[in-house]
Amino acid sequence: MTATPTEPDGPQAKGPGDAASWHRVHPVSPLVRGWIAVLAILYFFGQNSLENVFNGADHSGDDGSGWSFNPGLLWIVVGGVGILLLIVGAFFLSWYFTKYQVTARHVNVNSGVVFRQQRQARIDRVQAIDIVQPLLARIFGLAELKFEVADAGSTAMRLAFIKVDHTRELRAEILSRAAGLKQDRSPGTTAARPGVVPDPAAAGGPLSGDDDGTSPAPEAGPPATGAPAAAEAEGPWPASEPERVVVVVPPRRMVAATLLSPWVGLTLLAIIGGLVATVATDGEFSLLYMIPFLIGVVPALWGQFNQGYNFRAALGEDGLRLSYGLLDTRHQTVPPGRVQAVMVTQGFIWRRFGWHKVVVNVAGYGGQGEDAALRSTVLPVGTRQDVLNVLGIVLPDPGTPRPAELIEAGVAGTGDAEGFTSSPRSARWLSPFEHRRQGFAVTDTALFSRAGVLIHSLVAVPHERIQGIILTQGPLDRRLGLTGIQLCTTDGPISPRVKQMGLDTGRRLFLSQAERAATARRLNDRDHWLEGERRG
Amino acid sequence: MPQEPIDPEGLQFQRVSPAYSKVRLVGWAISALITWAVLAVPLVLMLTGVWPGYPAWLAWGLLGLAIVADLARMAVIPRQVRAIGYAERDDDLLIRTGLMFQKVLVVPYGRMQYVDVAVGPVDRALGLCKVQLHTASTTAKAEIPGLPAAEGSRLRERLSARGEARLAGL
Repeated sequence: MTATPTEPDGPQAKGPGDAASWHRVHPVSPLVRGWIAVLAILYFFGQNSLENVFNGADHSGDDGSGWSFNPGLLWIVVGGVGILLLIVGAFFLSWYFTKYQVTARHVNVNSGVVFRQQRQARIDRVQAIDIVQPLLARIFGLAELKFEVADAGSTAMRLAFIKVDHTRELRAEILSRAAGLKQDRSPGTTAARPGVVPDPAAAGGPLSGDDDGTSPAPEAGPPATGAPAAAEAEGPWPASEPERVVVVVPPRRMVAATLLSPWVGLTLLAIIGGLVATVATDGEFSLLYMIPFLIGVVPALWGQFNQGYNFRAALGEDGLRLSYGLLDTRHQTVPPGRVQAVMVTQGFIWRRFGWHKVVVNVAGYGGQGEDAALRSTVLPVGTRQDVLNVLGIVLPDPGTPRPAELIEAGVAGTGDAEGFTSSPRSARWLSPFEHRRQGFAVTDTALFSRAGVLIHSLVAVPHERIQGIILTQGPLDRRLGLTGIQLCTTDGPISPRVKQMGLDTGRRLFLSQAERAATARRLNDRDHWLEGERRG
Repeated sequence: MPQEPIDPEGLQFQRVSPAYSKVRLVGWAISALITWAVLAVPLVLMLTGVWPGYPAWLAWGLLGLAIVADLARMAVIPRQVRAIGYAERDDDLLIRTGLMFQKVLVVPYGRMQYVDVAVGPVDRALGLCKVQLHTASTTAKAEIPGLPAAEGSRLRERLSARGEARLAGL
């Protein structure tokens, strides 16, 4: 039973409009989260007791009495059952005390047995929502709902684990509330069942007036009957939410791209080197010495493949939707206006095939770690057209009439084409190869910065997303009359900067960019993005 | 306030209190003493004959180098403090720092999340404080150290008021 509705905790249901009741996560959740520990204990214990059984049998054989009367064995069995009961009890307690509630404005999660923890997240500050399904959770038909909130100190809230279709409903619910569509609905209707699709009449109300016909209400959701089945058949997304698939990365391209990464080349070189060394030293150098190296490289490659497999990007009413993964699958939703910076990169091997990678900075995804890198990737490997399709979503308004040419000049070009300003000649002492590449272009809505010779990169930061600008000059820069600019965005894989501009150019860019950053807010409040402006 | 080449023209930076040099000097003295104490250990061991094999030139040289470097660091502290400046404009706050590696940071008021005033023990003795601006970006964390306490609280009030007026989310 999904999320058994429980009585609201007596009179202490708190806050205004919080009539919504509390719910529990799925009872299997602790097992799905802690299965490794359980397995380890069982293994350790099983091995020990087996050994004991055999030892006991040996002894008893000598004595001539039956081993089944060995009191040691009895204790082991009792101990085993005891430990098992303890674990089950701990799981039960942790399940029992974990409750969540979705109200009109907040998501609340209470957890912890001894140290109670209460977390509250403002729905209108949701930056991104993920539905994550590790392998074991997939077997049970469960999923984890994880969302990033930019509130004082960004914290990730997670509901683990809930039935898959219920996570979808919750996501649709949270996103449409975040979009400002449901402000008028009385919170009481949600109380009946959490995240259940509201009745279409109520949902259609606020929309019907200004709906331009192209955007069916996302929360019209699956009709109450038979909807879960339909959603299941359709894949991860609720059936009636319209979406336009923008990019699909074919598995073949993913495999090829993985194999063409520099790591594979290095591995091959190392193996060849090892072979040569083995032959040259008459077997004194063994290929076995290479095993640690392979232990490092192979899992990394496998991870890249496993996670990037079946990558799909689509545009829905609630923003950019990504789904990917072979064994562990993940479905991400990034609402519009949550992307802080975009970077297109192209390594020198990929250039031959016309492949690119696109990553973004989203508040809450974080900058460090494999997980952050994974979640920040909005296109693991794609053609030029794929890049433009994805950029069309994450950077909906590039502020120039010729976006394709601008991107092209940014990724591959040098010199002053398409409005780029590159480093002056004096920069060649510091960047002999790069000075014709590194440069910037300013459009009405964003600053583009390009760099890199071996690995081409193009970074775009919307003016309205810039948190601060730093103008820098070191001693070498000063001698050559150069200066650089660093743009501050939220933590992520991208740290945008423009290196080695001429002094006057840099100072002018700094001042004008500061002005643009302070004034550029096309939508005065993007938190309720659908209220402000209807977007395709 | 000296006008450096990268300073935006037509902008008057306000200097922080010269007394802030003393705060920096205290910090400098603590770190320098610790360095010297650590580097003096082999020298003492050698002179007392516990570790006679230790080369004398290395023992003296390391300590000497550390002392010279630290003294040089001390000598520039007043100039570094003089290089710290801030300017309030209508829409944003500018902060400049650094002598060798110069930096000018601008933060639009609308991006400020909150403003802190921090007072350390030495600050308190001298009647100084440090105003910190936090944005959603960890790189755009703006600090103005060495402000007189009254100026610090005035600045905090002003920044908060302006931030609220222009706050536009993330």
